[in-house]
Amino acid sequence: MSKDSKMRATINQKLTEMGERERLKELLRSKLTECGWRDQLKAHCKDVIKEKGLEHVTVEDLVVEITPKGRVLVPDSVKKELLQRIRAFLAQHAT
Amino acid sequence: MKMEDMSLSGLDNTKLEALAQDIYSDLVEDACLGLCFEVHRAVKQGYFFLDDTDQESMKDFEIVDQPGVDIFGQVYNQWKNKECVCPNCNRSIAASRFAPHLEKCLGMGRNSSRIANRRIASSNNMNNKSESDQEDNDDVNDNDWSYGSEKKAKKRKSDKNPNSPRRSKSVKHKNGELSNSVNADPYKYNYNTGINYETLGPDELRSLLTTQCGVISEHTKKMCTRSQRCPQHTDEQRRAVRVFLLGPSESSLPDADTMVESDCYDASDGQVLMSRLQWDGSSDISPSDSASSKASTNNSDSKKPKKKKTTSLGLNSTGGGGGGSGSGGGSSSQSSLVGLSNRKKKPKLPVPPAPSIYDNLN
Repeated sequence: MSKDSKMRATINQKLTEMGERERLKELLRSKLTECGWRDQLKAHCKDVIKEKGLEHVTVEDLVVEITPKGRVLVPDSVKKELLQRIRAFLAQHAT
Repeated sequence: MKMEDMSLSGLDNTKLEALAQDIYSDLVEDACLGLCFEVHRAVKQGYFFLDDTDQESMKDFEIVDQPGVDIFGQVYNQWKNKECVCPNCNRSIAASRFAPHLEKCLGMGRNSSRIANRRIASSNNMNNKSESDQEDNDDVNDNDWSYGSEKKAKKRKSDKNPNSPRRSKSVKHKNGELSNSVNADPYKYNYNTGINYETLGPDELRSLLTTQCGVISEHTKKMCTRSQRCPQHTDEQRRAVRVFLLGPSESSLPDADTMVESDCYDASDGQVLMSRLQWDGSSDISPSDSASSKASTNNSDSKKPKKKKTTSLGLNSTGGGGGGSGSGGGSSSQSSLVGLSNRKKKPKLPVPPAPSIYDNLN
């Protein structure tokens, strides 16, 4: 198991060092904005804020409300593409 | 060892897949967090709800969906049927035509002076006096009102051509009068660069054909107004035109030489007709002008009631020569005359007059 964790750590490190992580992040962000995921979540945020009251909203509130919904709302095409790229990277650089 | 490798790789694969999934979920969570921070900051800074419109405005600017009205609630052709009173001429004009009318009425638009001048010119031409005062000018200028007068003006102009007294009637050309005919002719031209042969009488045609090329253009049906030596048309064409217009007996062209031209304009028209008769005689002989020769023989035989024939008969008597009454034009060149006279196939006319005419001319 420690081998796995070591391997994971190594790969994560490589991902960051090579800049692949940032690239993947940017790719995901642009894709999500394109498909309207961002606007959907923003509308949901508005509801939450109206519910909780404008003055008393905290980051935690928002995170708790938004993140699970966000995960669900990601379209399949975006998910598949991202996974494809990650696998490719791993195939190239793992062991 | 292979089995172990394979199992190891199999494990690796599942692990890799799990790893990939983990990395993916990390990325998505990052995105969500980023959004949360943004929204929270916007809320705390107070600009989160700025891009929304308030409820009241929403009601005011709601999309209208009624018939006869656009989505803003405005009527499309509200001003179409309304009429305005012009302050200048005190007429009621339709609203959509008001601006152009004002332009013409006040004389301030781009084309207003042009149209006004044109109308003045045409009315001057018609009346020979500038009787139109300001009021009338405005009336005539205004396109909105006087479509009819505009048509009338154009019609009058076109009627001027055949009936105007300035048209040059058949005049015996003298040296002094040549300029007159030239001046008069342009009025026939007007907007055209050529002459319409249909509107001219036979005398005018003849006078025209003695001075000008006269070849009728295929496209415009107008006669060429260039000189007898115009490079665009051949002598054959000129002869054909004369045959067509004046009849076969007049199928000869006036001599390009100055001698014969001066003959044309001298008082001795008889000489011209002598030369014409000479041509007539030789045309009998020449085989090329078979049609003209046959016609001319006919002419020489019978008296024709046409004007040109009678005049030539009269001049015949003054000239004292030549038999036939055919009034063919002069020869294209004296040399050709000589050549043709040599071919004596059908000597209808007596030969002796030919040399005598030559004597006269020479």
